[in-house]
Amino acid sequence: MMQNVKINSYQFLVLVILFTVGTSILIVPSALATVAKQDAWIAAIIGTVIGLSIVWLFTKIGLWFPNLTFVQMNEMLFGKWIGNILSFLFISMTLLSTAILLYYSGSFLTTHVMPNTPMGATNILMAIILVMAVRLGLETIARSAEIFIGVFFLLFIILVVFIAPEIKFENIQPVFEADINSIAESSLSLIVISSVYAVSLLMIYPAFINQPKSAKKFFLFGNLIGGLVIIILTFLCIFVLGADITARQEFPGYGLAKMINIGNFINRVEALMAALWIICLYFKMVIYFYSSVYGLAQILNLKDYRPLTYPLGMIVVVFSLVIFPNVMEQQKFDSTINIYFALTIGLLLPLLMVIVYAIRKKQLKKNLDYA
Amino acid sequence: MLKSAGILLVAAVILFIEVPSLLEKKHKKELIVFSILLAIGVGLSIAYSFGSAIPNPIDLLTFIYKPLHDAITR
Repeated sequence: MMQNVKINSYQFLVLVILFTVGTSILIVPSALATVAKQDAWIAAIIGTVIGLSIVWLFTKIGLWFPNLTFVQMNEMLFGKWIGNILSFLFISMTLLSTAILLYYSGSFLTTHVMPNTPMGATNILMAIILVMAVRLGLETIARSAEIFIGVFFLLFIILVVFIAPEIKFENIQPVFEADINSIAESSLSLIVISSVYAVSLLMIYPAFINQPKSAKKFFLFGNLIGGLVIIILTFLCIFVLGADITARQEFPGYGLAKMINIGNFINRVEALMAALWIICLYFKMVIYFYSSVYGLAQILNLKDYRPLTYPLGMIVVVFSLVIFPNVMEQQKFDSTINIYFALTIGLLLPLLMVIVYAIRKKQLKKNLDYA
Repeated sequence: MLKSAGILLVAAVILFIEVPSLLEKKHKKELIVFSILLAIGVGLSIAYSFGSAIPNPIDLLTFIYKPLHDAITR
């Protein structure tokens, strides 16, 4: 229907890593430490393990339909009308997430880097490169991700090495103080942010990979690496800042980079580290925006998705400015309503797909052979 | 007033970039969808620039999921 782009498994791995790390690197340590206190790292490990099993479910679904995107799968499984309604819900989720991430980037830049700039300006600038990437297509996104993953890991290793002298082991004690309920509760936010939202990668995963079978490993592996990055970061936040300060900060990772001080010579390098979060945030945003634009084009059966990018970019910018009146509202939404919404689209819908697939298996096999 | 003029200018630029190629390829459906979305985008932006309230998707979601949240946390 639309142009035939394929990316290879390694490029997909890079996209998965950047997607998984995405916003989690900025906000998850504080979300984890709010309830689980100094045991946030346990919650991070549990969250990653459960997240992996959810991603395994996604790969399973993806391999049933090796040539279809998520929107087409919905149409195939549920029929035209119900499928399109469900796909529309999915699109609304990804578009909303694009706006929310744009809000994050704007609020991060205006609070920490450019306090006198209005948020509209930063958001418009970000939206321009967002639209640009999506217009250039998936291959360009994947190749630029390949370049930026090097920068990302370089900065991350620098962060870890430089912060290591500040580690205070007493911050993590007493271990296992949190009960199982609070650990489960706080790991839920990590599961949702880095794994349940990975449902938007199903817009890329089976359809645009040249070898979907081997890419299955890379999907899981990328999620695992992303999870490890988050676990390490949570560890460092707890070790260096302590549970209280981690929980209180909006962007604990940024607070962590501020603590870097080597011989009173290398210090205040947090602006350099901000590049780390902007890279991840940007690629996560690109994937969300790509899924929403491409998905909308597929729902409406358009021949090209590119004409939709500019108008949707405009809509996303406006929503990113009005979506949260202040940071408190955003925290409240993220820790309550957003989780239910994401679970509905990212977990309930795939499970429904599994059930329907099990029922209609024979009939679908015939359809797939025709297609 | 200046803001809405700026927004209209942006919309004009977008039209200038997209429409000729769409007309050339005779993609009618794309043109319709594009125009509707652009109209929504321009409308929302101008409404925002005048400071009027824009329907917030978060409020809708809160309305839908609030009962569930209350039932779980009680």
